[in-house]
Amino acid sequence: MRVEIVLRYVGLVLIFNAVFLFISFLLALYLSETTDIPLLYSMLIALIFGLLPIIYVQQTSYISILEGISIVVFGWITTCLVGALPYMLWGGEFSLINAWFESVSGFTTTGSTILTDIEMLPKSLIFWRSSTHWIGGIGIILFTLLILPKSSTSKLTLLNTEMSKLAKADFKYRAKEILRILLYVYLGLTLLETVFLMIAGMSFFDAINHSFATIATGGFSTKNLSIAHFNSVPIEIIIMAFMVLSGLHFGLIFNTILGKSNNIFRSSVIRAFLIFLIVGITLVSLKLYYNGTYTWWTSVRYAAFQVISVGTTTGFATADSVEWPGFTRLILIYFTIQCAMAGSTSGGMKFDRVWIFFKAIVKHVKIIQHPRAVILLKVGGKAIDEDIVKDTMVFIIFYLFIIFITTLLLTLLNVDMITAFSSSVATIGNVGPGFGEVGSMGNFSGLPDLGKFILTINMLLGRLEIFGIFSLFFIKSWR
Amino acid sequence: MKIKFKILSGFILIIMMLVIAGLVSIYEFSRLSKSVSTLIDDNYKTIEASKTMIEALESEDSGILLLLSGHWKEGREILYSADSLFMTAFHIAKNNITETNEAKYIKQIDQSYLKFKERWEPPIVGTTKENSIDWYFTDLHDFFLATKNNVRALMILNQDSMYQESTKLKEKAHRAIMPGIIAIIASLVFMIMFNFLISRYYVKPIVDIIRTLKTHTSQSQSFDAGIVTNDEFKELEKEIQNLIYRI
Repeated sequence: MRVEIVLRYVGLVLIFNAVFLFISFLLALYLSETTDIPLLYSMLIALIFGLLPIIYVQQTSYISILEGISIVVFGWITTCLVGALPYMLWGGEFSLINAWFESVSGFTTTGSTILTDIEMLPKSLIFWRSSTHWIGGIGIILFTLLILPKSSTSKLTLLNTEMSKLAKADFKYRAKEILRILLYVYLGLTLLETVFLMIAGMSFFDAINHSFATIATGGFSTKNLSIAHFNSVPIEIIIMAFMVLSGLHFGLIFNTILGKSNNIFRSSVIRAFLIFLIVGITLVSLKLYYNGTYTWWTSVRYAAFQVISVGTTTGFATADSVEWPGFTRLILIYFTIQCAMAGSTSGGMKFDRVWIFFKAIVKHVKIIQHPRAVILLKVGGKAIDEDIVKDTMVFIIFYLFIIFITTLLLTLLNVDMITAFSSSVATIGNVGPGFGEVGSMGNFSGLPDLGKFILTINMLLGRLEIFGIFSLFFIKSWR
Repeated sequence: MKIKFKILSGFILIIMMLVIAGLVSIYEFSRLSKSVSTLIDDNYKTIEASKTMIEALESEDSGILLLLSGHWKEGREILYSADSLFMTAFHIAKNNITETNEAKYIKQIDQSYLKFKERWEPPIVGTTKENSIDWYFTDLHDFFLATKNNVRALMILNQDSMYQESTKLKEKAHRAIMPGIIAIIASLVFMIMFNFLISRYYVKPIVDIIRTLKTHTSQSQSFDAGIVTNDEFKELEKEIQNLIYRI
């Protein structure tokens, strides 16, 4: 493996971060906030570390798979470290571990926070916090590749490492085009949501920050009460619509805009995903209403927002679901495990895998009934390769195993079981809030430092599709 | 890119990082010392002045009680000296308005003290007021209490502000120290990275050229040291190839 090549690409990632740190610094200067120096200093550190390998290492036309995985993994880790610098330098609630937690949570678009009072933060730091979502949402690596020279096979290697197999299946384009599509959809959705939220009555600052968090399926809000602060049905509807869009495959959204046949309306996986969401909303609404928690309209309003928020891995809140009946909380936990679609900005298990899992169960039942029959597992009319089914099963089992291990470790640190389990599920799924201490209106500040660190590993595992990180631990087997 | 420039740029970057960390620390420490002096100038002075005003008011109250009991000389002496003390302290506070609402309290003190003074300035000994506890409590004591309460409110305002500012000092100290700590860690990482790049791009090519030269002389193979960088090492490789060709 050529370490220098890894350094060069990680350097590019850092320079990209420096750009957003500079914007946040300008905002701090404009508002005369105490975050000016922390942001400027962090920007310079990112720039210096980014420039050195670029000065020394020449660009390459070939990147091996191991190098690709190393670039992605180290790119994420370095970004999270640099992202934590402004928090560490500013102080306040940000201890060393809290700064790391907030940064990882931001970049991995998890949206879990350690902050007890978000509104106390200077606006420039809130903007940087939301920017980490936006940068992380599309994958910093993808961004960096856009500024690389055109003719290079290195792009494809990195893309293969960064994007799940399932996502690529729906992209019928070359690497360069995939990047272009992702960027267009990402920028378009962000701008559109900002405008809509401003029309609905949000300030420009709140609108842009919430758009960053929605499109990246992150969940960081500028308010302590999250979206509940605004208590506005139009704002909730706009955010719900964009949460759903951000949870769908970006390639299919792009196709829909271009009027191509392979679009969101024809995708059976999207149809299934939306049906799951509607069923979830209905069940939660009915339970909330018949339990006497809310009136009928309020039940639908809160259930729709919470289910969509968790189901798309965003993590915004309009109500404190910790207080809800057990049945509704279990449904929300199911959606926390299921996550949104591959090819979107969401992390975690991905609905596509869950869909293949259900289809595999049906196929298995049919084989028991008709042992000699040749039954294909089809998704959207296309037969799914046995290898993909096998990969999916291994992934799901491994995913659940990691949740179990993390829960076990947290309970070892004396965290109560509900908090331990829900925070494990919420962080590996990059969802954000869980239940117990870490509910939709709570935060992660009360957890022990080691527990917070374990959860950040969960976030990175969820974001990098687990095997990316694990393969680096078995570096000998690459030889 | 030339080797000279590459090596120089590495050093420039590390110097930049250290200089910036130093400047940031100096800036934050100067802000810290400014905060400390502000703390003393803005709040401590007024708190001390308020304490003096309360003491002066208490003395004036004793002076009035002496007048009521017929001790004219001792009473007036205490009253005039306490009044002078009060006015000196009051002017210190009046000329040191730094907090929001502070001007409002100063005005209230001024008004209530004026009324209090109007009550005790006219003769008391030998008038109907002498030995009149009723006059003391109905006509005078309320203005004494009002002035004292206003002074106390001014003091509390400055004490609160002082507490808040001292809490911020902790944050400012943190912000002054952190760049230094981060610069130390970053410099270590930077030096490891720099060392790696130097050995990869400058030491290794020399080793490769020497090794290839040795192989060439012994086995007469074509000269190719495998230099990939486009710098002086590539030029050296080409010149050796030319030299070998000419020989």
